Amino acid sequence: MTLVMVVDDDQDLAEMLGIVLTGAGIDVDLVSRGDEVLEVFRNNPPDLVLLDVMLPGIDGIEVCKLIRAESMVPIVMLSAKGDTHDIVSGLEAGADDYMVKPFRHPSELIARIRTRLRRTNADVLGLLTIGDLSIDVTAHEVSRGGKKIALTRLEFDLLVALAKEPGRVFTRDALLGEVWGYRHSTDTRLVNVHVQRLRSKVEHDPEHPEIVMTVRGVGYKAGVMGGS
Amino acid sequence: MNRVSTRLRNSLASKVIVSTVLLSLGVVWLTGSALYSQLSDGVKEVNLESSLAEAKSSFFNAQYQFLLNESAAGPVILKAVQDVIVSSTEVSLNQDRKSIFLNRFGRPFKNPLNVAAPDYSTATDGLDVSTVPDEIRKKVRSSDLVEYEYAKVSYQDRADANVLIVGRKIVIPKSGNYEMYLVYSLNSQNQTLSIIKNALLFTGFALLFLIGLITWLVVRQVVRPVREAASIAQKFTQGDFSQRMKVESSDEISTLGKSFNDMALSIETQISRLENLSRVQQRFVSDVSHELRTPLTTLRMASEVINSQKNSFDPTIARSSELLVAQLDRFEKLLEDLLEVSRLDAEVAVLEPVDFDLISLIERCIEDVRANAHDHAISISIDHETEQAMINADIRRVERIMRNLLSNALDHAEEKPINVTVICTRTEVAVGVRDFGTGIEPLALSRIFDRFWRADPSRARVRGGTGLGLSIALEDARLHNGELDAWGAPGRGAHFVLTLPRIAGQQIGGRPIRPQPEDYPQSI
Repeated sequence: MTLVMVVDDDQDLAEMLGIVLTGAGIDVDLVSRGDEVLEVFRNNPPDLVLLDVMLPGIDGIEVCKLIRAESMVPIVMLSAKGDTHDIVSGLEAGADDYMVKPFRHPSELIARIRTRLRRTNADVLGLLTIGDLSIDVTAHEVSRGGKKIALTRLEFDLLVALAKEPGRVFTRDALLGEVWGYRHSTDTRLVNVHVQRLRSKVEHDPEHPEIVMTVRGVGYKAGVMGGS
Repeated sequence: MNRVSTRLRNSLASKVIVSTVLLSLGVVWLTGSALYSQLSDGVKEVNLESSLAEAKSSFFNAQYQFLLNESAAGPVILKAVQDVIVSSTEVSLNQDRKSIFLNRFGRPFKNPLNVAAPDYSTATDGLDVSTVPDEIRKKVRSSDLVEYEYAKVSYQDRADANVLIVGRKIVIPKSGNYEMYLVYSLNSQNQTLSIIKNALLFTGFALLFLIGLITWLVVRQVVRPVREAASIAQKFTQGDFSQRMKVESSDEISTLGKSFNDMALSIETQISRLENLSRVQQRFVSDVSHELRTPLTTLRMASEVINSQKNSFDPTIARSSELLVAQLDRFEKLLEDLLEVSRLDAEVAVLEPVDFDLISLIERCIEDVRANAHDHAISISIDHETEQAMINADIRRVERIMRNLLSNALDHAEEKPINVTVICTRTEVAVGVRDFGTGIEPLALSRIFDRFWRADPSRARVRGGTGLGLSIALEDARLHNGELDAWGAPGRGAHFVLTLPRIAGQQIGGRPIRPQPEDYPQSI
């Protein structure tokens, strides 16, 4: 059974989230304080963390950084703020996705959670290469010259999405559909922030990317081995 | 030339310097001329007096010599004449050269032997005697006094010269009456005068230059603080209220500085007070909106959970749950709009421009809006000349504008079709949304973008919309430096035209689509 950790200081909302998620067949661990998260997280590692930004103790963005420091678990931020600044700082802290309160439908929340929990890219198995990186899709591992590179599941998905169709230029919209499972979204900040984060982990020089290439005015594509 | 005159007009310092120098030029010119004329008169007078005195003594000497030899023989007289010529033209150390001109006039004296009387007429130094003016010659012939005149005479071997001619009638025995002229060159006098003139000119120009320099220094002292004040005032108008003038002394300029600073302080306080007030107010609205979001989320989820079970409810409860969901939707939309309005008011709304195709965005909006519309029968057509309309703009805001315009059109379409037109020029892109429904009263047109304003209050609540949509759409358009125009006529429908620059933040040059539709005559 899937376990989702819900971190929210509003008891009623947390309970409601619990009801909705349980109804969808997902186990829920409720935490109401930022400073209690890590302890619960270590004792009972969840498959996904649903994290509110405003928390007593430590705020959500800090909590996000702390979790990222020790785990690649998918994190979805919940925010009452729709402001760009908060969303971007949440994503930069390591969140994979975010939802702004109030969400349209509980089903939307469930869908997002399922996308993040999905066993990715079941259609491609085996080995892929992108630039000088090799990706073992089955083992969920990325390595360069035998050295492993630790990526979050979302970063891994993003890299695989690009690698499995070398030569294709992905628009940001296409990536949002492919990796985040959004149908219509215009929020390309998600893509931009995650591409930056991915580059900082896999590129030799993130300023001059060779793995995740920018195609000006269009989007991104996979870099070619040994050339630009 | 133009630049110079512009500079003159624009710079206080240049103006003051130029007018000071011009006025000083006049004064220097006047005093210089007066000084020169006095000096030259003096020089001339001294020269004249000494020349006259010398001439007189020469004449006296000649007369005396001739008188002595009145009865002497011809050769003695000739010798006397030669002596006179030599002694008269003798030049002392610092004197100019002079020449003598003797001319017999009238009848020669008769002598007892009836021999022709010798004529001693002569001119020395190559003097061209014909250039000696007639006036003085007449005067000399007819008077017994010493006469003088300034004239210009010619010489055979050198250039014409200005001279002083002094003449007197003398009698040479056994010969006749003579005019005797001493011709004094004025060269050295003229040299002296030209030295004086040059000295005066030089002094004058030096004085003018110094006056200009002094004026510049003085003006700079005055103008520098004025310029400083002007530049500070300019920064002030650009919104930098922290600027102050330096106050160093206690003269008028520093009084200006002090008053300026007082004014600046008072403006700054006023503005920060107002800013604070509006910040507090906006902060409040924004906090309220934020605080409402968490319970609203719970509410929405709860209502959805209830609503998903509605088939098992009694009809009234089922309907109630539907209403609950619908009203929560509306409540959320209102909250969303309020939050956006508070952001726009606080001017913290930021553009996040990206490149995208406006036509595909509009097509997507049409699809979504139609899916949510209560009346699925209304057709929405879209006309575009180009396949794509790539623009650089904040896609979220443009999408919101389009949704607002389309739902507004759907709300008022009265089952008539809606036309969307897209025209793309080099610098701007325009989208016209035209419906043929209820239309807008002329009075309403001016208030259509006001917040919470509704064309028909009695009917408004039946329809969706928060009453903020068009106002937010207008502000979104203006954030891009674009415009949103409305046209409408009762019963004729309405036409909303969004004009955006192709690149966010640039200016729009015109309106590719006029709000007044072509199918509507100018005057009815």
